Amino acid sequence: MNFEAVIGLEIHVEMKTRSKMFSSSPNSFTRFPNTEVTCFDMAYPGTMPRVNKAAVINAIRVANALHMTIDPLVRFDRKNYFYADLPKGFQITQQFHPIGREGYLEIKGRDGELKRIGIERIHMEEDTCKQLHFASYSLLDYNRAGVPLIEIVSHPEMRNGTEAMRYVEAIRNIVLFSGTSDGKMEEGSLRCDVNVSLRPYGTKKFGTKVEIKNLNSTKNIESALDYEILRQSAILLSGGKVQQETRRYDEASGKTVLMRVKTDAVDYKYFPEPNITPIRLSPEFVQNAIDTCPELYDSKKARYVALGLSEVDADILLSSLAMAKYFEEASIGGKFAKTVANFLISDVNAYLNKNGISIEEFPLKPAYLNELAGLQEDGFTHKQVMQALNYLLENQDVNPKGALEALHIEKQSNDDGLVLAFVNDVLAANPQSIADFKAGKDRALGFLVGQVMKAAKGKVNPSAVSKVMLEELKKR
Amino acid sequence: MNYLDLSIADIHAALVAKKVTPLELTKEALKRAHESKDNAFEMILDDEAIAFASSLGEPEEDNLLWGIPYLAKDNFSTKGLPTTASSNVLNGYKPLFDAHVIDVLKQKKAVLIGKTTLDELAMGGTGTTGHLGITYNPYDPKHERMMGGSSCGSAAAVAAGIVPFALGSDTGDSVRKPASYGGVIGVKPTWGRISRYGLFPFAPSLDHVGFFTRYVSDAALLCDVLSGRDEMDSTSSEKPVPHCLEKLSEEKKPTFAVLSDIVDSIHDETILSSFRALCQKLEEQGCKVTYVPFGKEALESIYATYIVISCAEATSNDANLDGIKFGPYYEGKTYQEVMFNARTKGFSELIKRRFVIGSFCLMAENQDVLFLRAQRNRAKIVAKTNEILKDVDFILVPAAPSIAPKLGQSSDKLSDEYLIADNHLALGNFAGLPSVTLPLGYEEGMPFGVNLMGRAFEEEELFQACRLVSDSTGLEGSYYGKEDK
Repeated sequence: MNFEAVIGLEIHVEMKTRSKMFSSSPNSFTRFPNTEVTCFDMAYPGTMPRVNKAAVINAIRVANALHMTIDPLVRFDRKNYFYADLPKGFQITQQFHPIGREGYLEIKGRDGELKRIGIERIHMEEDTCKQLHFASYSLLDYNRAGVPLIEIVSHPEMRNGTEAMRYVEAIRNIVLFSGTSDGKMEEGSLRCDVNVSLRPYGTKKFGTKVEIKNLNSTKNIESALDYEILRQSAILLSGGKVQQETRRYDEASGKTVLMRVKTDAVDYKYFPEPNITPIRLSPEFVQNAIDTCPELYDSKKARYVALGLSEVDADILLSSLAMAKYFEEASIGGKFAKTVANFLISDVNAYLNKNGISIEEFPLKPAYLNELAGLQEDGFTHKQVMQALNYLLENQDVNPKGALEALHIEKQSNDDGLVLAFVNDVLAANPQSIADFKAGKDRALGFLVGQVMKAAKGKVNPSAVSKVMLEELKKR
Repeated sequence: MNYLDLSIADIHAALVAKKVTPLELTKEALKRAHESKDNAFEMILDDEAIAFASSLGEPEEDNLLWGIPYLAKDNFSTKGLPTTASSNVLNGYKPLFDAHVIDVLKQKKAVLIGKTTLDELAMGGTGTTGHLGITYNPYDPKHERMMGGSSCGSAAAVAAGIVPFALGSDTGDSVRKPASYGGVIGVKPTWGRISRYGLFPFAPSLDHVGFFTRYVSDAALLCDVLSGRDEMDSTSSEKPVPHCLEKLSEEKKPTFAVLSDIVDSIHDETILSSFRALCQKLEEQGCKVTYVPFGKEALESIYATYIVISCAEATSNDANLDGIKFGPYYEGKTYQEVMFNARTKGFSELIKRRFVIGSFCLMAENQDVLFLRAQRNRAKIVAKTNEILKDVDFILVPAAPSIAPKLGQSSDKLSDEYLIADNHLALGNFAGLPSVTLPLGYEEGMPFGVNLMGRAFEEEELFQACRLVSDSTGLEGSYYGKEDK
């Protein structure tokens, strides 16, 4: 390729605070349309904004996670424009003094190298109301009007779709683990606008940028950008000019599609919001917001790896807040962490998938999963422990020990003397199998081990039996 | 003599002594309201007021406002009662909530007997631009002279003795100028003293809740009652509420600065001699009065600065009036058409002009030379005002250069008299300082006033000074036609 892609992202995150950005209206997304609305959200004359403290705390936490400089003087501005979804005729935002400036995020590039992406600003603002358009009419839902948002604007420092995808994943992890947002792209609680332009390698000047909207998954960001970079590069290679336009990603075709050609930028006539006097945050308030921030993804991951988990396993457990929470409760103090992780990643996940439920709905107490892991580490076989787990899922008033008793499961013996006695008996009774083994028929070993297990009624450990059996066979 | 003509404290004493009842007071106020020919009312609340007054039981001895009839400018939100700000764009709009001050007065069991007219959306100073037409000055039964605005209806009602007090709002001088033309007391406390929640915004950085009274003690009382932190207005101050009434009688010998450039720009000899006489009386009582120049250029820039800032903020504040959520709805093929129709039909030409000015000043290419320049100039003027108030306690000036002007008479908008003497009250809005207009005298039977401005949050001292001024003029309690009633 002859061109270098220049990619910048603007991410809007809906905060899951109890109330809205500037009013006491509940903020839950789930209610019937137009039921979570106060007079302020409807812009009735004389209503005034009241800054949501929890939203400020969230913004501080995210800004800190992104290594940004936090402005201790919180100020808001008005962005003025007329639109059906904008009740006041202006949006209250932080144009002139964003709460956070100049930070960065480290991501893994396409080749696995660590790359630092600069972040220009993070600011707080309010959402508009939701519009539903029909053939002859439109409906407005004011539940969304005033929902707290943070906007995170990156520098144009990403170079391919993979980097953009990983950047968004990293942002999502921060807002998710800090408790700021659900971070669900598919539901719109994390929305992403991508700007991409191309320029010949070695040049500094930016090319004409195209904005891509309607990206509802991180995977789509990668695919859309990979496509768009090829599209623009084909235009440039054939001597054409890239048009300044807004495109959307069409998932079915895997292509970006023209939405509208950009005309002159709108003049939003920004000016300071006169109904909110600047709020001075004390250093203690800022520090407290940071200190009380729930543990973030990277820190958790480092901790999981220190417990003996692989990076891949740690990522799987951290793929949802609930799974990470369950893991931490089921491996208190790091006890049996690796075994607990294995249970969750393979057995429990399989159970969840099979039953179509989430980890939040998984009926087993985390403490019991920990006990089960302990049993396996104590010498019960995986199969035995899983039998106990299944029993526990169906009998919720029983504890793991009780499950073992109910199932008459006993620990299999590793006692070499006992195993040897059984092995010798079986070998004595099956000379043909010894001959078969010597003749290279591996199947004979399995048969002989099986005979031992049968004779011992399962009370010996099959792996110990295999080991002793091999040793004895070699002697004959 | 009617009880309605007394100070609130004296009416209260009569109520407690059961010489008069809230219902009798309310009926008298309603009667006077209906007799008024000054077009001061958006709405007279006969049924509601009589029902409320009848519901009041035993007098509350510790509550001076119990059973006192009052009026509110129609830009204060009143739950379930139409509130239009005298604009067609809000015809039929019934708010779902009470403004903070309406709520406070309801708690105090004062009786709201009506809503008063204003210049459309409180933008204007003549009292002639509301959707019901011109509001007249009760001192001029021939209806040749203006009331002044924008709080024209409230000013006219108190000037006509209909109620002991009325609520207004003041963005440039909208309480204090009509108070001068109506011979009543007009108060605007410090910005942040009284919650603006429920007051329809014109320009929030300049907007104040204000009120009209006829007695200094009534003004002090209302300042005490209406002040205080309100969670619904995050700009309202957390400072302790003042005790203006309690401290009113404290003897003080304050110092006054007369802004000489303002007095120099006034040519009305009656006003000037009354003003000089007042200054002399204050000095005789041991107060120090000094003439201080403010700077002519700075004073001349007040009007332009005010227009730029207020129109810029107004164009944004009133962007919510689009016919979609409330107010008259007009059909349209697109949302743009719906908004366009509501705003085209709802606003008068004058309002549209202000929006155009405001929008123009905020445009990216004009912001620095207009809006931001106006803000910088405002900061300079505020600094100068506060500097003067470092050395003296109060600024004392004639409230206006003339008695109420004749309707249709246009003044020379570039004369000193207009630019300086007709607009200087906005100094109090720029700096958010407490400011009071008091009656000073009469010319051709028409009143004129004097204005006092003090330091931020020093309302207690300000009302003490008002007491001195009022005692010097001897005009307390007067209203048009009092002798006939």
